Amino acid sequence: MARGIAGWWANRPLATKGLVVVAVPLLIFLGSVAALYTISRLEARAERDVRLTIAIQNDVNEVHALLAEASSGVRGFLLTGEPRFLEPYERAEQTVPQVTGRLAQAIRDGEAAAHLARIEALAGQKREGLGLLLSARERAGRNIIGDPAIAQGLAANKLVLDALRTEIEGMQARERELLAARQQRLDTVRRNGLIATGLLTAAGLIGSLFAVFLFSSGIVARVQRLERDAVRLAQGEALEDQGRGRDEIGQLAERMIEASALLRAREKALREGEERFRLVIEGVRDYGIFALDREGHVVSWNAGAERIKGWRSEEILRRHFSVFYPGEDGHARSMRNLEDAIREGRVEDEGWRVRKDGTRFWANVVITALHDETGALRGFSKVTRDITERRRAEEALDLARQEAEQASAAKSLFLSRMSHELRTPLNAILGFAQLLELEGHRTAAKADRASIEQILRAGRHLLALIDEVLDIARIEAGKLGLAIAPTPVDAIIAEAVGLSLPEAELRGITVQRVPSAAPAVAADPRRLLQILLNLLSNAIKYNRDGGEVIIRANAGRGKVRVTVEDTGIGIDPAHASELFQPFTRLAAGAARTEGTGLGLSLSRALIEAMDGSIGHAPRAEGGEGACFWFELPIAVGVCAPLDEGEPVLPASPPSLRPITILLIEDNLANAQLIEAVVAHHLPQARLVSAMQARLGLDLARRHGPDLVLLDLHLPDRDGAWVLAELQAALPELPVILLTADAIAAQGDWEARGATAVLSKPIDVPALLAAMDRALMEPAA
Amino acid sequence: MTPARSIEDARILAIDDEPANLALVETVLRREGYRHILTLGDPRKAAETHLTFRPDLVLLDLMMPSIDGYALLDNLGRLTGADDLVPIMVLTADTSIEAKRRALALGARDIVVKPFDVFEFGLRVGNLIELRLMFERRAPG
Repeated sequence: MARGIAGWWANRPLATKGLVVVAVPLLIFLGSVAALYTISRLEARAERDVRLTIAIQNDVNEVHALLAEASSGVRGFLLTGEPRFLEPYERAEQTVPQVTGRLAQAIRDGEAAAHLARIEALAGQKREGLGLLLSARERAGRNIIGDPAIAQGLAANKLVLDALRTEIEGMQARERELLAARQQRLDTVRRNGLIATGLLTAAGLIGSLFAVFLFSSGIVARVQRLERDAVRLAQGEALEDQGRGRDEIGQLAERMIEASALLRAREKALREGEERFRLVIEGVRDYGIFALDREGHVVSWNAGAERIKGWRSEEILRRHFSVFYPGEDGHARSMRNLEDAIREGRVEDEGWRVRKDGTRFWANVVITALHDETGALRGFSKVTRDITERRRAEEALDLARQEAEQASAAKSLFLSRMSHELRTPLNAILGFAQLLELEGHRTAAKADRASIEQILRAGRHLLALIDEVLDIARIEAGKLGLAIAPTPVDAIIAEAVGLSLPEAELRGITVQRVPSAAPAVAADPRRLLQILLNLLSNAIKYNRDGGEVIIRANAGRGKVRVTVEDTGIGIDPAHASELFQPFTRLAAGAARTEGTGLGLSLSRALIEAMDGSIGHAPRAEGGEGACFWFELPIAVGVCAPLDEGEPVLPASPPSLRPITILLIEDNLANAQLIEAVVAHHLPQARLVSAMQARLGLDLARRHGPDLVLLDLHLPDRDGAWVLAELQAALPELPVILLTADAIAAQGDWEARGATAVLSKPIDVPALLAAMDRALMEPAA
Repeated sequence: MTPARSIEDARILAIDDEPANLALVETVLRREGYRHILTLGDPRKAAETHLTFRPDLVLLDLMMPSIDGYALLDNLGRLTGADDLVPIMVLTADTSIEAKRRALALGARDIVVKPFDVFEFGLRVGNLIELRLMFERRAPG
């Protein structure tokens, strides 16, 4: 029951509780006031009753007195006849009815009222009797003694008065009783009032205490408990389960319990996470991972640290980490590391550290300063790796590198020495031979001059041999110092062809360069030229007189392939594998051929040093002669066609109409100028050039060009003949004539089929205009 | 003003441990008309000779067994004051790029690779002598 009430009380909202706590003493106070009022009312009524009773007694006495005096006066008047004795009678006559009237109003007691009624009747009789006496006196006059009426009257009067007196006395007695009773009641009321006041005071006191108790038990105590709970919550302790109650405080307590549960769950999760993390850290064996406090004392330790440093956790905790640093200044160095970590946030160090047993290891150490959320330093984390093995490997590597460098330096020195030793004697030989040659023109005999020439030729041959041997040796030693750069193949080919022409012309050999738009290759331009000169030189050397050399470049598969074909005696397949060996001369008649025998070896060494390849293949179409090729990678970052299948002849830009232009011109300078103009103005054009009339005609038939540029002066036949042949074979082919002969330029060439005639030196804008016209109107 | 010296009066010091080459150099230079040529076969006496002979041009072989040619090149360069110019031509049979770069970095004014063309050699010597005389005229004393 009590629990039920307590529960009910606890569940009331705070507003209700406040109301109750205020209302209880207030109600008790109001009750007290009402009770006191009632008591005072009762007391006042009792007092009034007492006063009324006394007044009634007085009035009764007055009636009695008035009637007694009136009776005495009447008798005096009867005796004396003096009117002044009538005054009391008259006063009684006047006053008694007033007094009795007053009494009749005042008296509520039945007995007293009965007395009064009788008194009133008796008083009336009395006054009547007195009146009768007076009237009898007037009739009798002075002789009253003898008058029977009077005597009767008097006697009757006396009886009435006696009766009256008896009544009055009775009434007074009654009134005294009443007074006593009322007095007693008043006393009772007063006593009760006193008791009631005391009780009310006590009740007020108790009520207030009760209110205080309610307030305390319902609010204050629970708020205090809440406060204690809040402290517990803050300290992460469990909350005591206080009586719930569904009021605000109860709800607050419930929320706090929920919060506490939530916090505990989170704490648990955090602890589990930390535990897992700690287990992971502790389990790491390859890294020593531990924490330091702000001063550098070890505060955590893992398995890796134990394995690396040899200290067990319980041995090392709370010791200063400078014990890991070897040497006298270990402490100073360790503190420097900490200072660096504080300044930089993180410091990485490599160096010798010492294990518990005093042995050393080469450590890689990372120290990270740890700060709390306010930025205050909390300590450090330290990760240590034992990289002694790596260090040894690095040292071994260093040693190996040093050895290699020494070996490399030795090779360099050897090459320098060899160069010196081989060339120095030649200096004297060639130098003096040159001097003899200079002097010999004037003094020496013809035979001597021939001898001197032999010395010079042999000396120069030997020098070339030495240079090539040294180059090969340098390449093999990796000392060549190649300057690899994006290199335009076409330009280098053109240069090589130009340099080879004198040699070719001596033997009437044509060098035909098939123009291409091959992209730049990654190569050393000087060395590429050297290779091309070697191959061209071979192609000319081993050619027949009046033969042909064709050089072309194709792009494909990320490479540019250059082929050099000749019309010579070719290579015996049985010996093809020996081609690139030093001092191999396979060709018949090699004995009379000049050369070091190292050209192909050197070329291969150079090509391979530039990540290319070189080889030999039988000529296509079963032609006679040899075909040498080499490939070099297309330079990175150079615009080149995507790799697709077989190498293709240089592709022209797809958006433009491919054009083939045939140039028949024997002057190399002019040919080069025209090539440059065509390459710039018509990038899509493929220029085929020939230096001889017949070859030009052959090429025209084979390639079906869109335009022919024809020089009128050619070594074998003149241009007029070529023009006539072209007109016969390809009547719609536009032909632009080029001539240095101003008179010839005036001829009727257009009538003979030429599209235009240009005089040399060539005016480039005029040439461009003529070419444009010819290509725009192919059928004209 | 001292009268301008003629090119032929120039003093040329040739240092090489190979007698045949010294003989070649001397022959070529005499043929070019130079009159004051001193050949030195022992490079260890190079500095001493340089101080006494006071050459206008030094021809120096770099590859000598008894001495480090590069050190000698450096030392000879130091014998000449900062306000003076005595060109040194290096004659070497070492054709490597490193050798050329190193010699030029150490103050060589020209490098001729052996075996050399005698015409070219004569012309280059003449160029350096002209350089020397031009310097002398601009800074007399």
